Amino acid sequence: MNEYSDSLVTLRINGKDISAPESLSVIQALWYAGYPRVKGVGCLQGVCGSCRVLVRRAGSKQVATELACELLIDEGMDVHFLNYPIAPHHKYQMDDIHSSWEVQAKFHEIFTEAVHCRHCNGCNATCPKNIDVQKGVELAVKGRFSEAGELFVECVMCNLCQTACPESIAPNHVAMFSRRVTAHFHARPSNLINRLEKLRKGGLQVSE
Amino acid sequence: MTRKLPHKEALSRYRPVADRPLPPSAELGEDILRTYHPDYIPDRCVNLTIGPNAGDPCHRQLAEILQSDARIDEADLAAAPEEETDVLVIGGGGAGCAAALEASRAGARVMLATKLRLGDSNTVMAEGGIQASVDKDDTPQMHYDDTLKAAHGQLDRGLAAQMVMDAPDVIRWLIQQGMQFDLDQYGDLISRRAGGSTAPRVLHFRDYTGLEMMRVLREAVFNSDVEIRDYCPAVELLSDQCGHCAGAVLSSLRHYQYGLVKAKAVIIATGGIGRLHLNSFPTSNHFGAVGDGLVLAYRLGAKLRDLDTFQYHPSGLAYPLHLAGTLITEGIRSAGGYLLNAANERFIDELKPRDTVAAAIIRECLEGRGIDAGDGTCGVWLDTPGLELRQPGIIESDFPKLLHLGTKCGIDPRQQPLLIHPTLHYQNGGVAINGEGASTVPGLYCVGEVAGGVHGRNRLMGNSLLDIISFGRRAGVAAAKRSRGATLRQKKIAVEHLSALRRELMLADMPLSHKGPLLFPDYAKFEKDSDYDGLRQSARAAG
Repeated sequence: MNEYSDSLVTLRINGKDISAPESLSVIQALWYAGYPRVKGVGCLQGVCGSCRVLVRRAGSKQVATELACELLIDEGMDVHFLNYPIAPHHKYQMDDIHSSWEVQAKFHEIFTEAVHCRHCNGCNATCPKNIDVQKGVELAVKGRFSEAGELFVECVMCNLCQTACPESIAPNHVAMFSRRVTAHFHARPSNLINRLEKLRKGGLQVSE
Repeated sequence: MTRKLPHKEALSRYRPVADRPLPPSAELGEDILRTYHPDYIPDRCVNLTIGPNAGDPCHRQLAEILQSDARIDEADLAAAPEEETDVLVIGGGGAGCAAALEASRAGARVMLATKLRLGDSNTVMAEGGIQASVDKDDTPQMHYDDTLKAAHGQLDRGLAAQMVMDAPDVIRWLIQQGMQFDLDQYGDLISRRAGGSTAPRVLHFRDYTGLEMMRVLREAVFNSDVEIRDYCPAVELLSDQCGHCAGAVLSSLRHYQYGLVKAKAVIIATGGIGRLHLNSFPTSNHFGAVGDGLVLAYRLGAKLRDLDTFQYHPSGLAYPLHLAGTLITEGIRSAGGYLLNAANERFIDELKPRDTVAAAIIRECLEGRGIDAGDGTCGVWLDTPGLELRQPGIIESDFPKLLHLGTKCGIDPRQQPLLIHPTLHYQNGGVAINGEGASTVPGLYCVGEVAGGVHGRNRLMGNSLLDIISFGRRAGVAAAKRSRGATLRQKKIAVEHLSALRRELMLADMPLSHKGPLLFPDYAKFEKDSDYDGLRQSARAAG
């Protein structure tokens, strides 16, 4: 690990008072201060959604949600890790949807709560990637799955929106459904299909 | 110490210029790899003393864990709860999920154990894409030839040939699971060219290809009959009286206890070793990538291969320091991005194979043409503003992850170049397997980065995402088939092989002080976490 030349800041993480160089992320600060941290650590690059934290900054009453690997520490910050994301409570098999004409009806059978969105904005407020989650749910409810899914390109499935939703909609799984049906039913690249046909007819071989 | 230009001064000398021809001085000498690649650092290797690869060269740090003592012995298992399944998959990345899905669809009862959460893996961090020859000017033969050449010829030809022939169907399978790819206006797959390849062949979804793949596979597994054991790293394999693999010992980080899972077939898909920080390099790898699967398989007698060769990805972030090692996709160079030294000159064809480009960057730094990252480490420029000048808008449309990384660094990559240095990225070798992912130990399959032979001494961009799905699917089907004939009854299943390991270690005069598998990198201080005392032999001995 590198030597740090920057000045130290003090903050509280999971109730422990620590000081660490200001250029560190929350997770790096914990390790720097000698505290073990295993659970809730993942890719350390902001794409796995593992290190969800609640954070309150000095002088503010507002509690925000962030990813601890991306959150740089700050004087007087108070941070709490949220371990164990919830498992999804909706179950579906792609193969049970027989054609693209059925997708909308199936969606409402599977995600029965989605239509009850009360536009409380909780999902949008918690999203560490600033996705317009609520808009995505609204589009999916209308059957505009491709458009809904497009909003979630940066979603890392941290499940914070699922935790925040008072109607148990599981917006991130609504988004995954939207993205998956878009590919499963509508992606039919002709260059791929041509290649598969050629292979099927034995037209392409590899000599070692 | 070698000279290097201070970061601020280098930045003030930098000007974005659209056209920068490659100077003739960038001709490479014959020996660039031998002179500058970390695989050739003198004394980096030792010969293994015990196990099926005794006498073979192996990186020192890897040798230490391969020849470590087990974390457990028979006594730890006395009161451990037991479960049974047909196929046990260890590892919850792309390879593990593909194997679990296919084994389950083939009718087997499947359990998937993962160290952290399902999807915590290197797969989720892969950016550039996945190789498959689908364009009309491309063929599987060209894909194979490129793979063989990049590997310096030292790969298992049968495995590589099978993988390139699988590739188009792997893409079809992924689309069927619900994975999106970048398509052109007619709905055809768009491809990028990988460094060291003769045709554009890397299919992708922005620079989030791995994230898109992983979240789709994770969702598919959650919605399947696969039983998931998360926060359950495997600490040992189980063996029967014939020495065949018969399950694993899991250590639950939720319940702080060991559990036995007896299985008719085991698939290890635990990934690589980046977090061992070989040769003190930073890494692009996931927190859990510390070589657990290699240790487990080796102890049970599985033959390994190519343990002296690793991939250093040319473009790891070098500045700011707290993000050192973070990956920047090769896609930037595929799109036409240049590398510049402190004199603002190109010094290599940016689309040479990864090992050559990494060696060239290290050469620039060692010969005083690098830029100081602030703490004595050194790097060169990835000229993103030049790319943006040539292709306005490309960074925002094609590389959202890079823009996001820029925000975290306080750098707009469209305006300012990024300082990069090679980062430890991939384990080229691993467990020797056949076309179905079977190791030399009956009942034990290994797929993905933990397996070796597919990529020789240097892997092409996009061949890893292909590898994990191609071999993951095959191993899943093969393990399910094996489990149909097998029975767990009347067999003595235990950790008998550990007695042999300890005998070998003592006879060879090796220390019993190192415990393996490591499970986590040392800076996570797992060994000091009092929560997990129950999962540690050392704590018991001390108490």
